[in-house]
Amino acid sequence: METLGIFEDLETSVRAVDRLIGEGFAEEEITSLSSVPYPDGVIVRTDRRTWFRWLTLVCAAVGAGAGFLLGAGTAWLYPVQTGDKPIVAYFPVGIITFEITMLFALVGTIVGMFIEMKLPPWGERPYDPAIAEGCIGICVTAPSAERKNRAEQIMTETGALRITAGGRP
Amino acid sequence: MSEKPVVKSAEQLNDEMLSSLRAPTWRWYLLAFFLGVVVAFGLYAFTHQMLTGMYVTGLSRPVMWGFYIINFVFWVGLSHSGTMVSSILRLSQANWRRPILRAAEAMTVFTITVAGLFPLIHLGRNWIFYYLIPYPNQRGLWPNFRSALLWDMTAIVTYIIGSSLFLYLGMLPDLAVARDRSRGWRRKLYGVLAMGWRGTAREWTVFHQASTLMAALIIPVAVSVHSIVAWDFAVTVVPGWHSTIFPPYFVIGAILSGVAAVITLMIIIRKAFHLEAYLTPMHFDNMGKLLLVISLLWTYAYFVEVQTTWYAHEPIEWEVFSFMAGKYTPALLLMLFGNSLLPIAALCFRRLRRSIGVMLVVSLLINVGMFIERFLIIVPSLSHKNMPFVWGTYRPSWVEISVTAAAFAGFALLYTLFAKCFPMVAVTDVRELEVRETEVTMGRADLPSIAGKD
Repeated sequence: METLGIFEDLETSVRAVDRLIGEGFAEEEITSLSSVPYPDGVIVRTDRRTWFRWLTLVCAAVGAGAGFLLGAGTAWLYPVQTGDKPIVAYFPVGIITFEITMLFALVGTIVGMFIEMKLPPWGERPYDPAIAEGCIGICVTAPSAERKNRAEQIMTETGALRITAGGRP
Repeated sequence: MSEKPVVKSAEQLNDEMLSSLRAPTWRWYLLAFFLGVVVAFGLYAFTHQMLTGMYVTGLSRPVMWGFYIINFVFWVGLSHSGTMVSSILRLSQANWRRPILRAAEAMTVFTITVAGLFPLIHLGRNWIFYYLIPYPNQRGLWPNFRSALLWDMTAIVTYIIGSSLFLYLGMLPDLAVARDRSRGWRRKLYGVLAMGWRGTAREWTVFHQASTLMAALIIPVAVSVHSIVAWDFAVTVVPGWHSTIFPPYFVIGAILSGVAAVITLMIIIRKAFHLEAYLTPMHFDNMGKLLLVISLLWTYAYFVEVQTTWYAHEPIEWEVFSFMAGKYTPALLLMLFGNSLLPIAALCFRRLRRSIGVMLVVSLLINVGMFIERFLIIVPSLSHKNMPFVWGTYRPSWVEISVTAAAFAGFALLYTLFAKCFPMVAVTDVRELEVRETEVTMGRADLPSIAGKD
């Protein structure tokens, strides 16, 4: 279960994060919500490893295959006989293969990015439009109602403007 | 000591940078109406051409490529720089890029869309446009996978999709800001497009990695698109075209016209949406330096091409060049002035690079020069490619001129509509810089500094 505290500025939100960690909340249970990116560690630490670039690579490989089959395969399946010109022309096949490879890689990057971000979300998640206006949200994923209440208490004590559990962006 | 700048709140920054999304004024409607009328007339001219045949154009043997192909090459060239400049500046972590990104990326999407229409308009029998699409040619001759039309089609489709995704990716956090500040249909639209973005630390991490990767991937696509357009010419045996320098020459020319167009649009956006605080003389100064370097490169490439032709003095090549220089002298001189002499002379001076008026004149004249350059590449070569008894010339008809005017108006209309519907400045990018900008004391001076890596 998630709970979100809205803070007016960076300093109060960082104070809340420090208190939460001090009270035994793990870094992985805390995340920040902000309308501008902060360097890692300024508010929270997050896992910087990502896998979506592998999907880009896989999509590029699939695209290369698809492009080659489109350029060379169709020419071979439906040959156009013109003089002594080759049925499968290397130059156009190369261009079509390259373009389709890049197309698949670009699309794969975007798709992979959204999958890795888990967007669009399935259900409602805590959110507050004040984040767009410069407020910072500290979102805590608590394993129990007791821990959730404790997190909310800490955030209130450290200067949260309000606590919200719903919202949906 | 210099005066400290006023620190603006996030709300103020949002208000200023999203000002383009406010309700349209009567001036905006008037502009949209005027552009719509020009587009409508162009559509009428095109319909007239489709119903009566290609003879209503100025095309006739031996010049079978005219204004439509000139437009195609010109618009592909314009499209080149938006995404490419944005990608290069993103990869090189140039902080001054931030207010420019959106204008440049949006320009690419709309210019390549306009460019993609011209091969279809040029086709003649437009209703069989699907011959251009690469699909299995089970009907025999078409689609012909050896045809250059298929290269162009594949490259343009890839570039349209790629640059649209790149534009969308950059807008994602801004769409979330716009979603949270809007109501009604706009809120629904931004809500769908923002995909539930909340701005979690993890989302920002993945977003930055994806942006960098997309920037790296889109550059070879941009280079390939204009190289492919250049190959449409270079792989023929037409005098003046059959040259190994053509792909890099086209790419340099494309970057020149694209950067100039970005500067023109920056000036218009700055004035129209009162973004003087974000698009400052410093941005024009930096873009001016970029333009100066590219103009020098273009001059070098043009010189190399002409010098090689002149020294080799191969009769047919020299004939085409002499014809071009003789019949189109004023156009040739205007091209050299606009693309080379003026930018090199003006952009060497910091004061002129920082002058909005000078930058507007220079950037506009570069694109006038680039349009002429496309004309001078295509028409003289086709006019004199054969034996003297089939030499000819070309003059565009009212239909071609109307379609060309409609293309410019259509681009402006698309851009105007986009500017009213989507943030024209990369809000979160600019705000990120504001957040990270700080002053450090070094010795006796307080110096501006950017906290953290980009």
